[in-house]
Amino acid sequence: MSNHALLNNVDHKDLKIIRKRNAKMGDQVMFCMTFPVEFRSVQHDYPIFFRKDSQTGEFMPIAMFGFEQKENLFLKDDKWDAGYIPLVMDRDPFLIGFQQDRETGEKKPVIHIDMDSPRVSNDEGEPVFLEHGGQTAYLEKISSMLQAIHAGQDHSKAFVQKLLQYELLEPFTLEIELNDGSQNQLVGFYTIHEEKVNALSAEALADLHKDGFLQSIYMVLASMSSIRDLIERKNQTLVNK
Amino acid sequence: MNQLVKHIVILGGGSAGWLTAGVLAAEHMPSDTNGIKITLVESPDIKTVGVGEGTWPSMRTTLQKMGVSETDFIRCCDAAFKQGSKFAAWHTADVEDAYYHPFSLPTEFTQHNLAMAWQQYRERVRFDHAVSFQSHICDRNLAPKQIATPEYAYVANYGYHLDAAKFAAFLTQHCTEKLGVKHIQANVLDVKSHTNGDIASLVTDAAGEISGELFIDCSGSRARLLGEHLGIENISLQHYLFNNTALAVHVPYHSEDENFASHTLSTAQRAGWIWDIALPSRRGCGYVFSDEHTSLDDAEQTIRNYVAQSSSLDFAKHVDLKQIKFNPGHKRKFWQNNCVAVGMAAGFIEPLEASALVLVELSAQMISEQLPQNRQVMDIVAERFNDKFSARWQQIIDFLKVHYVLSKRDDSAYWLDNRDESTIPQSLQDNLNLWRYQAPWHFDAIHTESLFSSASYQYVLYGMGFETVSRTHKTQTQTKLMQQAERLFAETIQKSNQVISQLPSNRQLNLKVQQYGFQKI
Repeated sequence: MSNHALLNNVDHKDLKIIRKRNAKMGDQVMFCMTFPVEFRSVQHDYPIFFRKDSQTGEFMPIAMFGFEQKENLFLKDDKWDAGYIPLVMDRDPFLIGFQQDRETGEKKPVIHIDMDSPRVSNDEGEPVFLEHGGQTAYLEKISSMLQAIHAGQDHSKAFVQKLLQYELLEPFTLEIELNDGSQNQLVGFYTIHEEKVNALSAEALADLHKDGFLQSIYMVLASMSSIRDLIERKNQTLVNK
Repeated sequence: MNQLVKHIVILGGGSAGWLTAGVLAAEHMPSDTNGIKITLVESPDIKTVGVGEGTWPSMRTTLQKMGVSETDFIRCCDAAFKQGSKFAAWHTADVEDAYYHPFSLPTEFTQHNLAMAWQQYRERVRFDHAVSFQSHICDRNLAPKQIATPEYAYVANYGYHLDAAKFAAFLTQHCTEKLGVKHIQANVLDVKSHTNGDIASLVTDAAGEISGELFIDCSGSRARLLGEHLGIENISLQHYLFNNTALAVHVPYHSEDENFASHTLSTAQRAGWIWDIALPSRRGCGYVFSDEHTSLDDAEQTIRNYVAQSSSLDFAKHVDLKQIKFNPGHKRKFWQNNCVAVGMAAGFIEPLEASALVLVELSAQMISEQLPQNRQVMDIVAERFNDKFSARWQQIIDFLKVHYVLSKRDDSAYWLDNRDESTIPQSLQDNLNLWRYQAPWHFDAIHTESLFSSASYQYVLYGMGFETVSRTHKTQTQTKLMQQAERLFAETIQKSNQVISQLPSNRQLNLKVQQYGFQKI
């Protein structure tokens, strides 16, 4: 079980976060969840697909980093070799928790930290609090990332609902041929059916546009060009072998 | 005589009537201006009999074609996944006497007849466990799929257990709201005929006269149109299959999250057998027996004892039992003039292999596909329909009877009488003679779309200790098969282990369907 704690400047005054990017830090993942709010940045480096949450069967958008389990083609010399790191990866080891206000009973989002994370340290890495307990710029950035994720979740669900309503998602098998001649197949992913988008009625387009979903759809379609970059990265690893 | 078929009138609002209406409406589009009109007439005063709480996998296709969402269906009909049947105490009635007839085919069944290879391993491993990964899933009461599996798709083939009354109500809504079926609630007072004997119209109390070109009799065992009006008599099957009475009961769970089986459990008794069908909200159990082989008092004691194994003694002692009497049999003809019977109006037999609803589906499909455009060609379709369904009833008799014939039980006259040669159809005797020397396989299906495949026969035969001897001379196929056998048995186990680690319990999946539902893709 994860050991989650409410972040505070007393218990965690000396807390530092190791920001290296490597397998030991848990970065060696094939994909992570992403949100329409960050599609514009994500699509530049990563293909955006959809996958079902195995616990609920619900679709969620994901950013892809590799072609097999535990493959992240962006990890290089303890760094993440891309201009933008998706929110879910970047916020690690912090997460959103909820605290009930004693007086109003309202649930408010607060920052939690996974104390079992290999990133947690006392002597190495980025400080979380300033000497006298103030927030570092790093923590302020984390805070805004978590807020974006929090707001992004409901928005993302609404986005998926609309895609399903207009039957725009389709199962998809990614077939890639690598430079060593090997054929690779990837199943279990879904994508947006471009022809169906093009065939949408004016009313449907207006409906999708109203909440900004139309733009998100085109971001997903545009992200397909990142597949080629990803294949290129994969081919590079073959050369280095 | 050249009258076009433009209006179909269905009499009866049970699962048979509404399933038939749904299958026909999904194909012939009553809502379209040129579509065929479909009217279902249901008596507000006659209660439906909840037959067949178990379906075959074919129900998935039937519902899908009707445009039903599987999630809605499961939520509204108290439905659960059924992966086959487990037969306990049918062979020897020893403690260990049990086998499955699962819905999935034996491993690589299309290429290899593993039953022949298994004969040499029969002392070491049960047939179902050796050739069917699904038997291992059923042993653990796991679901046949995950929440992320699209609707109607599966990891292991499945049908359903359902609440028949809720199912009829669900189909009523779907057929009237989505498929354009007209629903009339009225009692039939009289039936009017044309000079050639065809039904011209139904005279009703609340909706006047309803005329049509084709009438489908789904009025239940009364068979108001085909039997009462057209005089088609019953053929009794009681001399083959003795059971004619049932005592049914609902058994509650101990708690809301108690897991439940994903197969029908059928446990043989001294004068019949007890069904045990697990729905998400309750279990439905019932003792179906031959009233010539036991007294009603003994039968009541038998079902109460069974219930007591899984509930409090007090509950088992006092719970209400519902008695159902039936005459096992079917109509001599199912289609006469412009009237065809579907469901209990066509026939009824004990629910041993859940054949009731599948016969409704198959009847509705054939009527829909072969729907005569006009009266002139209707007799040709009628004759084919009659041939096909007479053959299907024969297939049902043979397959149900084989469960009794192979039993070694001798603890009552019931079991001995069941093995009396005069009660066994000749077709079944011939097959059993042949199968002593070769295991059933693809060529054994004389009719295409045979109701019970050779795989089904294998599960029952070898679940009940039937022995098939190999040919005395070596054959190519047998030599190759023996080389592959160990690998294929290992494959069964490997596949079981793989899916067992991934599948949720039957209860867990049902809760997830209630909460999230399945995706369409």
